[in-house]
Amino acid sequence: MDTAARKEVFRYLFGKVVDPLGYKFTPDEELVDMLLEAEVKTELDTGAPYCPCQRRTKVRAEDMKIVCPCIPFHRRHFDAMRRCWCGLFVHKDVTDPSVLPQIPEDEI
Amino acid sequence: MSQDVVVYALSTCPWCKRAREWFTAQQVACEFINIDELPDQEGDAAADKAHELSGSHAFPVVVIDGSVVVGFRPERYADLLGIK
Repeated sequence: MDTAARKEVFRYLFGKVVDPLGYKFTPDEELVDMLLEAEVKTELDTGAPYCPCQRRTKVRAEDMKIVCPCIPFHRRHFDAMRRCWCGLFVHKDVTDPSVLPQIPEDEI
Repeated sequence: MSQDVVVYALSTCPWCKRAREWFTAQQVACEFINIDELPDQEGDAAADKAHELSGSHAFPVVVIDGSVVVGFRPERYADLLGIK
């Protein structure tokens, strides 16, 4: 499957997962495209679409917590930011994602 | 006076790129380390260092004169650099 087709699969599957969690894709289409492209590459390299902005630990149980969409594993943190760490998803009520900064979990 | 700025980054992370662009726009020299593009052992060592500094596996990790900022946070960077 080529990259564009895989990105569309991710769009469909991820959308189904995040919708009941109260999230949606960020309205920043350029960012969505960059992040999905990175996840397709990561999946090809490693076998899973890990978060493009978090480092794998090589401990499988820990690494599973950063497979996209990783919202369920970071609910308190992401709900407080109203976005996920990489910004692929935002709370459904967010219209301007540029005002949502990255805040580390220990500062929440 | 020049400041010591190091950015630990992942090549797949757009916020890491934005951090680099921000420092470039501010004409602040920084050491930019894409840890996933380093050879295995070197990359692991840099990742361990970033984790030791930040207590996290999230990127970017920015170190400004010893102060650690996790995430793309231009206001924090500016405060630490004394930029208004």
